[in-house]
Amino acid sequence: MSAAPPIIEVAGVGKRFVVGKAEAVALQDADLTIADGQFVSLIGPSGCGKTTLMRLIADLIEPTEGSISVAGKTPRQARQDREYGYVFQAPALYEWRSVLANVMLPLEIMGVPKAERKARAVTLLAMVGLESFHRSYPWQLSGGMQQRVSIARALAMEPKILLMDEPFGALDEITRETMNFELLRLWQETRKTVVFVTHSIAEAVFLSSHIVVMTARPGRIREVIEVDLPYPRDAETRESERFFELTTRVREALRVGQAAANAGGGASSGAAAAIPKSAAD
Amino acid sequence: MSSTGSSDDRPLRRTAMRVVPIVAVLAVAVVLMYPVALWLGLPLARLRMENLANWLVNTTAAHPLREAPAAGTTGAPAGARLTFGAFEELVATEDAAPVRDVERLVLVRGGEPVAATFTLDGEGLVLQSAVEGPLLQWGDLLEGPLDAGHVFRFSDPAALGSALFLNGSLLEAGAVDSVERADGVNREFTFSHGAGPVIVAGELLVEGVGFEVDGNRVVLGRAPPFNAPVRRISRDYAVLDAAAGTIALAQPSAQAPQAASAVLALAELLLGGVNGSNRTFQLQHTPLVENDPARRLVLNGQELSATAERPQERVDGERASFTFAGTRGVVTVNGAELTEGRDYSRAGNVVTFVRPPARNAQLRQYQDYLVSDPASGTVTLAVAPVPGDKLWAASYTYYDRPECGATPLECFFTMPQHPMPFPHWIAQRIGPFLTAYPFADSRNVVRATIYTAAGTLLALLLGGLVGVLLAVVFVAVRPAERALLPWVIASQTVPIIALVPVLLLLLGNVGVTVQTSLVPATLIGAYIAFFPVAVGTVTGLRSVDPLALDLMKSYAASPLEVFWKVRFPAAVPFFFTSLKLGTAAALVGALVAETESNNRYGLGYAIVGQVQAGNVSDVWILLIISALLGIGLVALVGVAQRVLAPWEFR
Repeated sequence: MSAAPPIIEVAGVGKRFVVGKAEAVALQDADLTIADGQFVSLIGPSGCGKTTLMRLIADLIEPTEGSISVAGKTPRQARQDREYGYVFQAPALYEWRSVLANVMLPLEIMGVPKAERKARAVTLLAMVGLESFHRSYPWQLSGGMQQRVSIARALAMEPKILLMDEPFGALDEITRETMNFELLRLWQETRKTVVFVTHSIAEAVFLSSHIVVMTARPGRIREVIEVDLPYPRDAETRESERFFELTTRVREALRVGQAAANAGGGASSGAAAAIPKSAAD
Repeated sequence: MSSTGSSDDRPLRRTAMRVVPIVAVLAVAVVLMYPVALWLGLPLARLRMENLANWLVNTTAAHPLREAPAAGTTGAPAGARLTFGAFEELVATEDAAPVRDVERLVLVRGGEPVAATFTLDGEGLVLQSAVEGPLLQWGDLLEGPLDAGHVFRFSDPAALGSALFLNGSLLEAGAVDSVERADGVNREFTFSHGAGPVIVAGELLVEGVGFEVDGNRVVLGRAPPFNAPVRRISRDYAVLDAAAGTIALAQPSAQAPQAASAVLALAELLLGGVNGSNRTFQLQHTPLVENDPARRLVLNGQELSATAERPQERVDGERASFTFAGTRGVVTVNGAELTEGRDYSRAGNVVTFVRPPARNAQLRQYQDYLVSDPASGTVTLAVAPVPGDKLWAASYTYYDRPECGATPLECFFTMPQHPMPFPHWIAQRIGPFLTAYPFADSRNVVRATIYTAAGTLLALLLGGLVGVLLAVVFVAVRPAERALLPWVIASQTVPIIALVPVLLLLLGNVGVTVQTSLVPATLIGAYIAFFPVAVGTVTGLRSVDPLALDLMKSYAASPLEVFWKVRFPAAVPFFFTSLKLGTAAALVGALVAETESNNRYGLGYAIVGQVQAGNVSDVWILLIISALLGIGLVALVGVAQRVLAPWEFR
């Protein structure tokens, strides 16, 4: 995709789930290369396999076909070497730990000594703007704040890659836009590779350097669109002409792509079966 | 951080709003207890009232002259007025027609009727014809006073029971037993009536010296020995010691009373009509006491015998002829009177039945009379009196009135124990019951409660631990749950009442003294508590959000780390909730274990003891204490939950 070295390579990957007696094809023939430092959004309708693709990259599930390479390693190796941080749709914070303790959790598992753990967690919380909430408990924070803690936690292990699965999906529009700014700021500071799953075209265009358009039934990668809006992006970017053109282009790609998939995808095996949302390995 | 708004400004009001509904329910329950107590207790009181065994008995006898005539007077002229002791007993007040009364009474002297006609009015008798002969024979003066003026003695103890006169007036005997039994400790006794000195086991106690009076209640100076008879003189005197021949006067007297014999007396006639053929008569005071050694019925001057003769031969179901000692009498088979000529024929003292009596039937011959129906006072004579005969009662005992009171409501309030006591009675018992023994004594109720609480807490600790371990095994080792869970469930269905004796036997063999040990209560309580804890903790361990597990996977965490950092903390609230569920049942288990091991230090022992003693109010207090203990323990677990798992309470 660009001059920077590839950090994630997906080649011919497919994933099939067995649901009862039927088989569901979540992803088929996926080919994708993501370079270091890019902000890549995966966008598509429900059932297009974007979450499945993320989970395959994260080694939370295994592909039935094809291969993936993450930072030059297999996904399993990358997971064990803690090369990425994962941010889920829900904050998934532990109720019995304070905010600070939640951020320290991955560091505990890594075996980082206590003082250093605490120092790093404090820094991370400051980075997401929650420096005065160390002692608070998750239920005392709003949804947006909880998600920020989740992001801070994902950065704790200083991974090269950040995998984010609709992290702002549960938030309202205004909070979401604020969070988008925050995320871009973080990304600029830390220069990590971000793979970002979203439903929102505007969000995808605003945040990403590249947008991967996917279609459903079966899940496929249709097109990769480059977003040439300059960084840093701000409120003005959102109102620019180019922004509008790009969102229109993405929308078109989605619509046309899906229509093509529907027309040609009738013969796909097991296409009608629903893919379980949290299908485990 | 909480956002409850205005109610925070008035914390007192918020507490009140939480507490008031609870108190309101309690108040309603307490108020309802009164009608329910009456509803449950009145039928019992009624039964008690109707039960003849609870009635006061009275022995009525021929009543002697009340005023002794001056020495030397013989006979009484027509028109003389005579008064008799306890006159009101003889004269019915409802139907006061004097003619009828006259037909019910007869003048007797020395065991024989006196031919005299008289009329009655409200106070006494007015002779219509003269009475010949002395009205009484003076006997000996009694010896004494043997003490300050109350105690006198017959020189011949056999003369005890003859009429006594003091200063020319008749002394009437009467004493009433105390309501309570002497138990060796009690010093307070109540009497239904009577106002004289108290006699304890043959010793006379005088007010001020031996006891204090408060209405019907007396407080003795010393506790009477166990089962000693405690009586109070209700009339003029009472027998103090029959063997020694001593009596005690209610009022002290410097002069000794004098015995008299052959005193003119007024006696009851038997009702029924003397016509030469009627053999059935009724006594006037009913119902009769069945086995009455004091019953003496007299025909003219001849006392009738109530002995029942048995046949010489065995009643074997085939024999028809039986030999009796006497040659006449009323013949009964199983209490039913048979008719001569129709049911049997007599030849001397041999009775031949038309049909042989059934095997082992009760065959009797009553020489003079039998009491055919004590309830109506009916008496059947063997030989019918002829006109002119006087059939009268020298003495007999009857059931006078219920001891407890005149109405069921009165009897309700005098019942010693109620199926459900009034709440304020229970409340009144709380103080004395809780402080009956000092705290150091194992019988102190508060101490017993603490003992049982300790046992239950240990049981919860043990049961909680076992439950958690079992839950971890179930979650960690897949086949373990399939293999063990059915057995765990089965273990809970074995009733602990059956299990406890087996356990006690085992413990005894191992050397544990079960009567003084907390081990049985702990083990049984743990046995009951571990099951809900195990099930609840399993649910808790499995209740983890799949995203949280994915998170740990993304950190490449080891299974042990996943368990300690995610599963275990997630299970803690479930653990406490299920522990609360098991707490009340564990308490019951501890109580059962204490009861069956006869552990006198515990609350179970106290409950069983009070139940067996029949102290209903105390049982209620113990039940309330047990309930409060259960509530307290559950609250304690809740406090532990708040401390150890605060994140559940936002």
